[in-house]
Amino acid sequence: MAFGGGYFKTTYAGDLALIDTRLRRAALGLLVFALIVLPRFASPFMLDLVAQTALAAVGALALNLLTGLAGQVSLGHAGFIAAGAFTTAVLVEHRLPSPLLALPAAALVGAGLGVIVGIPALRLKGLYLALGTLALHHVVLYACGEFQSHWGANTGVSIPPPRFGAWVLKGTIAWYYALTAIGGLVLVLSVNLQRSRAGRAWMAIRDREIAAESVGIDVARYKVLAFVWSSALTSVAGALFAYQRAFVSVEAFGFFLAIEYIAMVIIGGLGSALGAVLGAAFVTLLPYGIDAGVAALRVPGGAEYYLFPLKFGAFGLLMAAFLVFEPQGLVGIWRRARNWVVLWPLRYRPLRPAS
Amino acid sequence: MTQVLATTVVVASLYALLAAGYVLVYRATRVLNLAQGDMMTLGGYFLFLVAAAVPGQPALSVATAAALSALAGFVIYRLLMRPMAGHPIFAAVLVTITLGILLRAAIVLVYTDRIRHPLPLLGLANPPRRLPGGAVVSTFDLLTVAVAATLFVGLFAFLRLSPLGIQMRAAGEKPLLAAQRGINFQLLFALSWALAGFAGALAGILYANNVRLDPSLGVLGLKAFAVALVGGLDSLGGVIPGALIVAAVEVLSVRYGDPLLADVSPFLCLLAMLLVRPWGLFGTREELERV
Amino acid sequence: MARPALMLLAALLGVTATVTPALAQYRIGMSAAITGPASSTYAPTYEAYKVYFKRVNDAGGINGQKVEIIYEDDRGEPQRAAANAKKLAEGSILMVNASTSATYKPFMTESETEKLPLLFGGGVCPREAFPPASPLIFCSTSFGSKWDSRFALGFIKEQAAGKKVKVGFAAQDIPLSRIELEFAEQLAKEMGLEPIPVVVVPGNTPDFTPVAQKLKDAGADWVLSWALWHVEVGVFEALHRIGWQGSYLLYGHQQTQDELSRLKAGNLYAFGGNTLFMENLPIHAEIANLVKGQTTHPAHYMAEGWVSAMVLEAGLKKCGWPCPKDKLATALASVSVDTRGLRGGPIEWTPDNHYRKSTYYQVYRWDSSKSVTAPVGGWTRLEIK
Repeated sequence: MAFGGGYFKTTYAGDLALIDTRLRRAALGLLVFALIVLPRFASPFMLDLVAQTALAAVGALALNLLTGLAGQVSLGHAGFIAAGAFTTAVLVEHRLPSPLLALPAAALVGAGLGVIVGIPALRLKGLYLALGTLALHHVVLYACGEFQSHWGANTGVSIPPPRFGAWVLKGTIAWYYALTAIGGLVLVLSVNLQRSRAGRAWMAIRDREIAAESVGIDVARYKVLAFVWSSALTSVAGALFAYQRAFVSVEAFGFFLAIEYIAMVIIGGLGSALGAVLGAAFVTLLPYGIDAGVAALRVPGGAEYYLFPLKFGAFGLLMAAFLVFEPQGLVGIWRRARNWVVLWPLRYRPLRPAS
Repeated sequence: MTQVLATTVVVASLYALLAAGYVLVYRATRVLNLAQGDMMTLGGYFLFLVAAAVPGQPALSVATAAALSALAGFVIYRLLMRPMAGHPIFAAVLVTITLGILLRAAIVLVYTDRIRHPLPLLGLANPPRRLPGGAVVSTFDLLTVAVAATLFVGLFAFLRLSPLGIQMRAAGEKPLLAAQRGINFQLLFALSWALAGFAGALAGILYANNVRLDPSLGVLGLKAFAVALVGGLDSLGGVIPGALIVAAVEVLSVRYGDPLLADVSPFLCLLAMLLVRPWGLFGTREELERV
Repeated sequence: MARPALMLLAALLGVTATVTPALAQYRIGMSAAITGPASSTYAPTYEAYKVYFKRVNDAGGINGQKVEIIYEDDRGEPQRAAANAKKLAEGSILMVNASTSATYKPFMTESETEKLPLLFGGGVCPREAFPPASPLIFCSTSFGSKWDSRFALGFIKEQAAGKKVKVGFAAQDIPLSRIELEFAEQLAKEMGLEPIPVVVVPGNTPDFTPVAQKLKDAGADWVLSWALWHVEVGVFEALHRIGWQGSYLLYGHQQTQDELSRLKAGNLYAFGGNTLFMENLPIHAEIANLVKGQTTHPAHYMAEGWVSAMVLEAGLKKCGWPCPKDKLATALASVSVDTRGLRGGPIEWTPDNHYRKSTYYQVYRWDSSKSVTAPVGGWTRLEIK
């Protein structure tokens, strides 16, 4: 992403590096530092919000892999999250609550589910693929519901806090660090996947499948691979959900959850890892932002009840507004802003010089 | 046995009314309107609005409610769907989902979540009726079947025989050619959305009088879209066998099989159809490629 | 790449910063399903609390201090409930949960971690409120799993008056309803009734006729249903339509009064713990007066929330001032509240029993001769052991 400035790469390692400029390294260092010291300044509620955002980002990044990179539209995301969460629940019910077992197991279950979904999905494209995954979501939820009725207590399965040997992960601050770290890891994984051979194959398939095939990319294999990667990551996110909420219940994984993830990816900007993270932050924090905004209004006593459906409607309205007016998503806004800053006082990028 | 048959036909009629809305919108604009269930709920609440304002006038209330829903469909297209032209189809579908959220929030804002019953306000009753063969259905069950049949006959006649209908079909198939022929396809798209609103309102009005009215009726819309897919997303004729199949599977699984399967069964039908024949029973084959 | 993301995040977080509370008040946090699919059951509780404590504050508060209640909407979703629990736990001396059981776990965890008393005011009572009770969990809800079935089957047996009756069970496909009615099926056998296996009704089914057919073909004389109202009544209406002659007993939610007069069916019995407003006791008129113009739900939906608020007020009164959370928990554990007719009897809690010492049930039915909903028999008392 050169801007015509004086950055030259002199080594292969420098060319391949994710963070290549001094400015970027400094900014990243600052961000990491800020995240580490945040618990000293922020309330537990805010830390919980950041943790929730990080967890949502894991799911959004996984979905972005499938829908943004590989172009395979999927509405069944909530089903994969449920699969990961219920894998954890099954293990807990069999007295194996360790996360060192549950997380890999969830990843395996997710990968398996990805193969099961991916192979028939080869026959479908576009809208039909989306609807097929939606139908699958209902089937997965039915299976989870059956498991819950037979083994769960009244309303769901309780998950004990994750235990690593003698140390137990609990408390807002510990979860904040854990989830932010995992979110960062998945972000790096996602960006690297994008730059890898598989990532390039996916983007080729997304843009022009026939051309990709004619260039020698095994479309079937890469499509299934996309499903496998995406669902494995999503299932891991589901297992993390289970541990963080300490409770697994099929009602938490309804269609609305899948909508939220699709919204995260689309509002953030399809095909961009940064977009997925921004979208995750937006969708997770939006209800609380609306709450805060509405709380600032003075409303007469009897009318306070109306604020609640209003907040729910405002969420839908803002999502619709974003979809209609900002098709490139938050990443589009970010890119425009960045270009403005970099190019100022000029407005347009210069044409590339002949060299 | 006849009871199962009767129930299947009744349920199929309800699903057919909803699926007609899906098909109409898809044929014209290639968008899957996942808010169809919420438009059905909206129609039911319009009926409640008018019936509460002027009780005892069934014809007026129904006509007004249907007209208001058609108008709502028109406005929704103009304000929400038309700006989405040129965006990826998927984003348009997502917009319809947010529309569903908005509609539900608006209904709850005005009417809260209480279960409502417009029937007494209209001054009508819903007595059971005995059919030959021993089956018993309610009056409004029969009305649902009658209305669905009439609507389909009307839609067929409209789309095949009337100039406006033929134009609508043309605009749906090839908008560019239609535009060059001088057809105002934007108006026709809006009209198709209005018709979808109308069909949804009919379903909502009938269901509200027959069973109940509450803001979460939209889930029936999701089941009905499985019907639309099984029949073929762009085939109005396919809706009828699709509805019968899906309704039959659902009713039979409650009556003789595992009732829990009943909620999932439309989606199982959908999955089966997608794997075997993605374009549905009577849909057009084109856009599907295989790997 | 990193910087603007951080800025955006910081901006959004800044907007949601909370304000530190004033200290000279009883501070309570309440999370209810005010919107969302379950709101028709729980939103009235939120409104009842608002009206009740407004009156309390206008009259000078309790022990000279005002009561400040922070309300949050969790829509019945566990994730929002978890966030609400963390938010409400800050600075509160008690939390109230009026929402679906999916939201319980985060609140119970928060209550345990912060040693905060937790009052369930409308949802089904968790096991921890029954003897032997958890020191921090309290429940004022009128219905209770297993006890409802014990009463219902006892009522059916009494109505059968010695004849052998076949009892059918109509459950909704939610775990709560299925587990309760499977327990009832077991209990029916032990009580000498002839149970038919539980029929599970999918909640979103458009037509209840196949379910009704199943029950009718099995020859049920009585059908017991314990689920959300629309399922309970849907099965009844379908049974009525296909000409079933038996009697139907369902749990009466807030809609009971309106629906019994709409259906006008002599074979429909609704049982519950709250007195219906048509009995027009002085407390009912008082509530109706206070609620006028203040709430979106009508007065006769307020009973559940009102009783819960009464219990909370009694606990706060007993606690005195200042009232730290541990003192409040102790005060609540021995509270005794006269419900003034809203329930069949007083609510009495002991350190071991945070549900109540005795629970009372009343059955209502439409009386076609007098064209009015009327109670069937008097209040039945069950002792909670």
